[in-house]
Amino acid sequence: MSDRHPILELVDVSMTFGGLKAVDHLDFTMHEGEIVGLIGPNGAGKTTIFNCVTQFYKEYEGTIRFGGEDGPVDLKSVPVTGVVQQGIARTFQNLELVGDLSIIDNVLIGGHTHFTTGIVSHLFRTPKARQEEREMRERAVEVLDFLGIAHLQDLYAAGQPYGILKKIEIARTLMARPRLIILDEPAAGLNDQETDELDALIYQIRERFETSILLIEHDMGLVMNICDRVCAINFGKFLAMDTPAKIQRNPLVQEAYLGKDDEE
Amino acid sequence: MSDTPHASNGRSALLRVLRERPALQFVLLGAILLVFAVLPHLGLMRFSTMSIFAYTGIYTVVALGMNILLGFSGLISLGTAGFIGAGALGMGVFLQMGLPFELAALAVLVISGSLGALIGLFSLKVESIYLAIATLFIGEILRQIYTSVPIFGGEFISIGPVKLFGFLELNQILQQQRSVLYAIIILVLVAAMVLMHNLVKSRTGRALMAMSRSEHAAQAMGVSLLKYRLTAFITATVYATSGGILYALYFQNAPTRAWTLNISLLIIAMVVVGGFKSIIGTFLGAIIIYGLPNLLLKDLLGDISYVFSGALIIVVILFYPRGFVFVWQDIKRLFVTAKKRTGTEAPR
Repeated sequence: MSDRHPILELVDVSMTFGGLKAVDHLDFTMHEGEIVGLIGPNGAGKTTIFNCVTQFYKEYEGTIRFGGEDGPVDLKSVPVTGVVQQGIARTFQNLELVGDLSIIDNVLIGGHTHFTTGIVSHLFRTPKARQEEREMRERAVEVLDFLGIAHLQDLYAAGQPYGILKKIEIARTLMARPRLIILDEPAAGLNDQETDELDALIYQIRERFETSILLIEHDMGLVMNICDRVCAINFGKFLAMDTPAKIQRNPLVQEAYLGKDDEE
Repeated sequence: MSDTPHASNGRSALLRVLRERPALQFVLLGAILLVFAVLPHLGLMRFSTMSIFAYTGIYTVVALGMNILLGFSGLISLGTAGFIGAGALGMGVFLQMGLPFELAALAVLVISGSLGALIGLFSLKVESIYLAIATLFIGEILRQIYTSVPIFGGEFISIGPVKLFGFLELNQILQQQRSVLYAIIILVLVAAMVLMHNLVKSRTGRALMAMSRSEHAAQAMGVSLLKYRLTAFITATVYATSGGILYALYFQNAPTRAWTLNISLLIIAMVVVGGFKSIIGTFLGAIIIYGLPNLLLKDLLGDISYVFSGALIIVVILFYPRGFVFVWQDIKRLFVTAKKRTGTEAPR
């Protein structure tokens, strides 16, 4: 894997909340095409790392570099709304969908930055605006079809079962044509069958959309199954980064994380 | 498109056309409203009734802008009356200076649109109830300016006959020409509805909704809060000011003391009662809040009609909390046994 060039590099990243070090001098690198899992006990700082990478938190120390199409970019110089244009799309731990929009419209929000027409052409529904809307809709249907929920496209997002909502969020990230997808607990709240389905889905996403995937997950089965490498952290500190099998045997990780929970 | 065996059924054909081209429903509404331009000349309606419909149309235009804010963008303004006043009084001032009508309208729209942009910037700093209070005072400041600055002429600005496109002179005293003025209001209303429909069904509308429902997801998908706050407030002020311009056009005089908080609250009530995010609902709201009390009840009940309309509003809110426009679904349910679905279908 290491012969491919790095897509995401964290160099000496720290993030402090009023004296509490949520992320403590963290370094890790993931490469293009990799599926990397980020694990750690509750409160280890996983979501904080995601929020730093996607620039929701700007006050972090250290450097986060993204291997963009035109060479590495220091993400700190990118505004939070510009991150998606760099090629990073994310989902949220607590689903962040628009309940009173149809499913397909929710997915189209993911394509926001790929539209070229502006408000004036929308007001007058110029031929160009209509054609663009049609093309984007076709693409959104393709994405929904890939996830197996195209038949639900015209229903409101509100009131859909949890598994469907999770898929809508994934569809929205795919619509953004990302090179790196960040998934915040994709399996949380899913039943066993849905989790198995997610396993296969994450693989297919990498193949079909040619992306790298970084995910936070508590479901160890899922992490061990699909991740190329796993990065373990505890109290914001780096513990180890290795293949799933080696991570499972790592004494530091066992002590901090797996050792506490005999069921795993 | 597909040839169904019931294609000859006129009613369902109409419904299908409306489903494929939703903007046609606004044209249909406009056509119905245009009938009221003709009825008074046949002695079937009073001219004052036509004026009530004109007023309802003007209110609807303003309330559509409020719906962009309140329904789609999750923002609020209590300064709406100030912007209607800006439209009416601004037209008065510019027309007296001798500007052609179209140029005066453009100038007024640019000025209040810029004011709207300022409020939009402001809304990035203050939210919800604080935004309401801030805009309340913007409305009050505007009202104070109208009543105390001499350029607005004290009680009112008399505008007099208006010349459109440089040749069409229209005087509201003359009954024939008043009907033409009414027709212009309805045409602008239909245009305002179609434009709003286009806007909210586009990338812009989706971005507004994402911004208000989930700020984080919106930002993660590249929706700039600054850009869409500005969009929302500029659109809302332009709609409110257009209402003021129509007022100046139809009544041809612009009072200075009329633009009170009371009107801003009525506009919000129209959106709440009629239906958030619904264009036809906004019109229904204007009919319920302004039209009905003035059209029917005032004759029957006199001043007590306002008590009745207040009670009506409470009843509507109790039974149709999402807006009176949802009465349509209940009517449909009476006739059609709804197919069981796994969710609610979104309107196109």
